[in-house]
Amino acid sequence: MNTLFSKNFITWYFLLPVLIIHFLVIIFPSLSSLILCFTDWNGFGKINFVGLENFKELFDDRVFLLTLKHNLIWTVLFLTIPIAVALLGAYLLTGVKRFQLFYRFVFFFPYILASVVNCLIWKYLFHPMHGIGTYLSSFGLDFFSTSPLTSKSTSLYAVAWVDGWHFWGFLVVIYITAMYQVDESLYEAADIEGATKWQKFWYVTFPMISPTFFFSLLIIIIWSVPAFDYVHMLTNGGPAYSSEVLANFLYYEAFYQMKVGYASSIGALMFVYVFIITALFGLLRRLGLDI
Amino acid sequence: MKFKMYKFLFTVLISMIVANSAFAKTKITWWNYSDEGGGLDATLKEMVQDKFNASQNDIELEIIFKDGDVNDNTRTALLAGVGPDIITSSGASYVKAYHDAGFLLSLEKYSQQYGWADKILPWAYNTGVFDGQFYSFPQNYETMLYFYNKTLFEENGWKLPTNLKEYEDLAEKIMAKGMNPYVYGSSGWQPTHEHLVGNYFNTYAGPENVYKALTGEIKWTDPVFVESIELLKKHMLAGYWAGSLENYYAIGWDDYFSQLTNRQAAMLPIGTWGFGDTIAGFEAISDEFGWSKLPILGNYGGNPNYQLSIGSTMSINASSKHPDEAAKVINWMISDKKRVVELTKKLGFGNWLIPLNYDDDDFSQDIHPSMRDFFVDFSETTAKGDYGYTTWTFYPAEAGSHVWKEMEVVWAGDITVMEYLEEQQKLWDKARSKNALIPVGKR
Repeated sequence: MNTLFSKNFITWYFLLPVLIIHFLVIIFPSLSSLILCFTDWNGFGKINFVGLENFKELFDDRVFLLTLKHNLIWTVLFLTIPIAVALLGAYLLTGVKRFQLFYRFVFFFPYILASVVNCLIWKYLFHPMHGIGTYLSSFGLDFFSTSPLTSKSTSLYAVAWVDGWHFWGFLVVIYITAMYQVDESLYEAADIEGATKWQKFWYVTFPMISPTFFFSLLIIIIWSVPAFDYVHMLTNGGPAYSSEVLANFLYYEAFYQMKVGYASSIGALMFVYVFIITALFGLLRRLGLDI
Repeated sequence: MKFKMYKFLFTVLISMIVANSAFAKTKITWWNYSDEGGGLDATLKEMVQDKFNASQNDIELEIIFKDGDVNDNTRTALLAGVGPDIITSSGASYVKAYHDAGFLLSLEKYSQQYGWADKILPWAYNTGVFDGQFYSFPQNYETMLYFYNKTLFEENGWKLPTNLKEYEDLAEKIMAKGMNPYVYGSSGWQPTHEHLVGNYFNTYAGPENVYKALTGEIKWTDPVFVESIELLKKHMLAGYWAGSLENYYAIGWDDYFSQLTNRQAAMLPIGTWGFGDTIAGFEAISDEFGWSKLPILGNYGGNPNYQLSIGSTMSINASSKHPDEAAKVINWMISDKKRVVELTKKLGFGNWLIPLNYDDDDFSQDIHPSMRDFFVDFSETTAKGDYGYTTWTFYPAEAGSHVWKEMEVVWAGDITVMEYLEEQQKLWDKARSKNALIPVGKR
């Protein structure tokens, strides 16, 4: 009896409500989804087990292979452009003395807007009849005469642009927070040594914010896997699958094609990918990298 | 004394509870989709829920509006063995799935009791019959037609086309004037492509061939369908809709009516759900609009026709504790045709156009003449057997989504028309083998 009320057990009692909720809304659905990978369930009726049939079909599916490629491009895009712009923005902001809070708010503003609002704004801006293309063409600049969202060669990049436009402000905020933690004396020492701005960034700021930087890499890689809302609202994967990504394809298979079993197998592979990435970062941390 | 007082109060309390139970109304819940501020929710509450509740004392109807996709909410609830008494679905493919899973109560008994088969248009009634039993009540019917700027046509001496040559000639003439022949696009609703596929199947291959393919007499790879899709591809790449394929993908609902009214486009091919906004758009300008059935483009028979479609349905949950009361609610919905017309009129004829046998007397004098003409013509034309089939009512789920999703791939030139139709046929074969086809009434 005393054991049940020991200090160790009491801790678990406090955790119990959260664990129960976590089991009900995360663990149980995840496990169910893993089981559904091996079925041909349509989301309504009888469940038939089909073994590895869904996975076999998946690797023969040209659209699935295309979405893998697109998710990879998406990850690379987000690991480069928003990070570079956000690092620059954050670094420049640290030097701004007046109205800094205002600038921070301006950069962060797109991030707090609902994704549907961002999508509508950019859909209108890219609109071929009354968007920026019409305005630019009055100066003889015709490169936006059609919406980049509706061309096969540009749709994925256009969606990534819109998503990146809302996302980079978030990175600015986490980078600038990390930059403020850097000890001022390091910059003073660098000044005494006659370091340039670039040298101060590269040899002082960047090494000191590297844990935050690597954390941002990790979340970008992980968040790129279930990228969905911007693709779904701006192009729904079109035209002709040119901007199709894993999560949108999963949605299409589950809710339009009513192939819940097949969609679950896509979800399972997404989970495996995220698990590997997380494990890899964990391993690197154990190996002593400051991430 | 004190004890007596308690005894009295206790007796009063028990009597109140018993009386309340005895006279309590039976609550019937009904989940419907919400248009999130567009006026549908308020209109249904006022014209259905409140009027029904005021009409009798036994049943209390509560319409619960679900944001997002009502089908997702409904599916989750039904799987959990709960859900509302009255279920709304987005059409036959959902009804088929619900029926196969045993979620729906057969309405056969109620249909016979209330004579629904005589009140509802036969083709619409048949879309709700599964394994010989009536399961889903058609809540809204739709068909494809096209609107045109009548004043613009008269000024330019243009005539509505009646065959492929006239159709293409007219398009050339309109484009030569710097306008788009048609305004149409898929921004905001990618399945828009299926409207065009259905139009070309029903006007080029003809409804008889579509019927044969639906029932398995011929394959979707038949030359008549290959030619239909080739023609659609040719017209799409020629810029008939919105000027180019890219622009077709970029324009949406708001553009339809602005381009049609400001003369950027001459015609708008759309479903009957476009009536409300077309009427409103032309009321604000001096131009007049006209509407027409789609012209027959092919040489495979058939007259100009209306494609049959049920946009949404009502069914009774198999686990409902009050199915008789739920059936009463559904029956009340159609018991007064004038009220049905009034309701759909208030919703711009885009919703709740219940497919009933309407007479001229059912329409009030203030209804727009074009709407009245349409109702009358629809009844006469379909009664003569001149009707076609929409993909979103008569296609099983997989083939139904493939038909629009892969159409973009055909237009992009990544697959051939034959490859597209071969995949369609495979999906039909699969659905047929699984007994997942949607019922099609005999022609």
